Amino acid sequence: MMFLNNLPRNMDTSQLKRILMFKRYLCFALLLPLFVVQNLKAQDHKHDPKHNTVNGQSVSARKLSSTETFHEKSWAQLLKSGPRPAAYLFTTTYCSTCPAAFDVLHHAVKEKGQAVPLMAVMMDASGAKALRHASHFKGITKMYAFDGFEPEIRQSVDPAWPNVTPYVVMIDAKGNAQKVIGPPSPEMLKRWLY
Amino acid sequence: MRFLNKTWVNGMALGLLLLGIGTALNANAQSANVHNANSHNKPMKHAKRIQLATGAALAPDGRLWVVGLNDRGQMFLQSSPAQALGQWSAPVILNTQQDEIAADGESRPKMAFGPNGWAVVTYTQPLPKPYTGFVRMLRSADGGQSFSAPFTVHQDRQEITHRFESILFDAQGNLHTLWIDKRDLPPKGVGPKYIGAAVYGNVSKDGGATFGPDYKLADHSCECCRIAMSNTADGKVAAVWRHVFGEQTRDHGFALLPAASSTVSSTAQGQTKIPVRSTFDNWQINACPHHGPGLASNTSQTGFHMVWFGIRKQDGQDVAGVRYARLSATGEPLLNTLKTIPDPRAEHADVLSHKQRVVVVWRSSDGSTSTLKAWISEDEGQSFSVKVLGQTQGPNDHPRLVQRAEKMLVVWRDTKEIKVYDVSQ
Repeated sequence: MMFLNNLPRNMDTSQLKRILMFKRYLCFALLLPLFVVQNLKAQDHKHDPKHNTVNGQSVSARKLSSTETFHEKSWAQLLKSGPRPAAYLFTTTYCSTCPAAFDVLHHAVKEKGQAVPLMAVMMDASGAKALRHASHFKGITKMYAFDGFEPEIRQSVDPAWPNVTPYVVMIDAKGNAQKVIGPPSPEMLKRWLY
Repeated sequence: MRFLNKTWVNGMALGLLLLGIGTALNANAQSANVHNANSHNKPMKHAKRIQLATGAALAPDGRLWVVGLNDRGQMFLQSSPAQALGQWSAPVILNTQQDEIAADGESRPKMAFGPNGWAVVTYTQPLPKPYTGFVRMLRSADGGQSFSAPFTVHQDRQEITHRFESILFDAQGNLHTLWIDKRDLPPKGVGPKYIGAAVYGNVSKDGGATFGPDYKLADHSCECCRIAMSNTADGKVAAVWRHVFGEQTRDHGFALLPAASSTVSSTAQGQTKIPVRSTFDNWQINACPHHGPGLASNTSQTGFHMVWFGIRKQDGQDVAGVRYARLSATGEPLLNTLKTIPDPRAEHADVLSHKQRVVVVWRSSDGSTSTLKAWISEDEGQSFSVKVLGQTQGPNDHPRLVQRAEKMLVVWRDTKEIKVYDVSQ
């Protein structure tokens, strides 16, 4: 590079322009690999659980790109300062009846025409393994993932909750919670949203 | 610097651009290769969460074997001598060919011993699509000293549910495998709705070297609970599982498996196979209890001892509980034998019996402390007494029961160790 910096004094303008153009291309060519690598790596990290890209608004399940950590104290925090109205569906990777129960919530919200956050809490997986299931929850706003001992969650949410999913908690605008195993009934949905 | 004419500069710049792009792609490719090399080295798909579900089996020589996943997600085998149960040999890692392995809750790796030095290990391999899987098996012809590469047990290879497998050798040495299967579900939006899943199975007469055709044992099973199997006094194999009766009544179905000598045909289209109903909780729910039953042959009489979880209406209230009852030889519940385990937190109970002795074991957890309890009867289930076997803090597996003749053991794994409790007497 030194030979380009030590330009001869007797150089004409056109030669100088060519040299400067060459330097510009060279810089661009050297910076390009860094840019491309960083960009590709950023795409790889889209499934990093630390990157939460959704907040409060309902998005298409296919666009959900991350999960948020759920721990034994999360429930108390959500009840205290979480969105209202809202619904939480506790699910597991083996719960094939859970998406249908989520559909019931989604349908009720759509019918009401409200932007009500609908959350799924994956109790037995985290990261990409949990996210794999997001596309089955139409209208999902956010997916939480728990990486611990399932009875711990059950104890924090409802000590009487047996090991059955889906477990649905609907919180109305005033903060009243309704809990049900399986899809909620029309009466429960009415109490939740009306 | 006369050589720096316009053509040369443009050519060189283009070359540098191409070099830059090439370098970038190469760097990323190398990064991907490192990632792939690591993932091929050994499966590390669930590095954070340790999957604790562990299978156990007693070998003909009385040695206790366990199979599970270690904290790196590798499948391991360990054994413990009959004279020193709980003193484990060094773990041996099995070659599972980078299969993802389900080893959580009701879906655990399993092991079984047959005659002629046969031993098999099975597990469910979750596939990329949610709720799908293949039942995989490794076989040994030298009593578990060495194992084959894993292979898929069923003939159907669609990316659908083939999960929650169960295995048992019958008295003649035939290996029976059952699993939950969704091959009978019509494509979405086509045809009438198929409720639940089906229970399918097959039989191997040579310890897993070859298999008969897949056959359907029952239509409309529940979709995510373990299947309980038991040898019968007359050399057959019985099974009980959570079943959907009607639209959404989740109780339990019972069936005697077809003998290996009988001609079992594959699915007969349009023919619905309804099992014997063994429980009558009348639990109306469209959900996944993930809480399969336990079954043990009543060795002093005909019939069975059964435990299960369910919710039933009592005085207008939904009452959840783990219940016990005796079944007839054909799977119907016997009058006045129903009892509820005296622990509202009881979960994942299982049952063993030998002659008059019946042992029901379960886990009871308050989220942080888990207690292993046993309910023991010396009069064929007419009366029981509770015994606390052990306690642990933090994550732990369900209790796993194993039996060979009068020897009855409970295997319980937590994050630190695998404990063994002898409940033979």
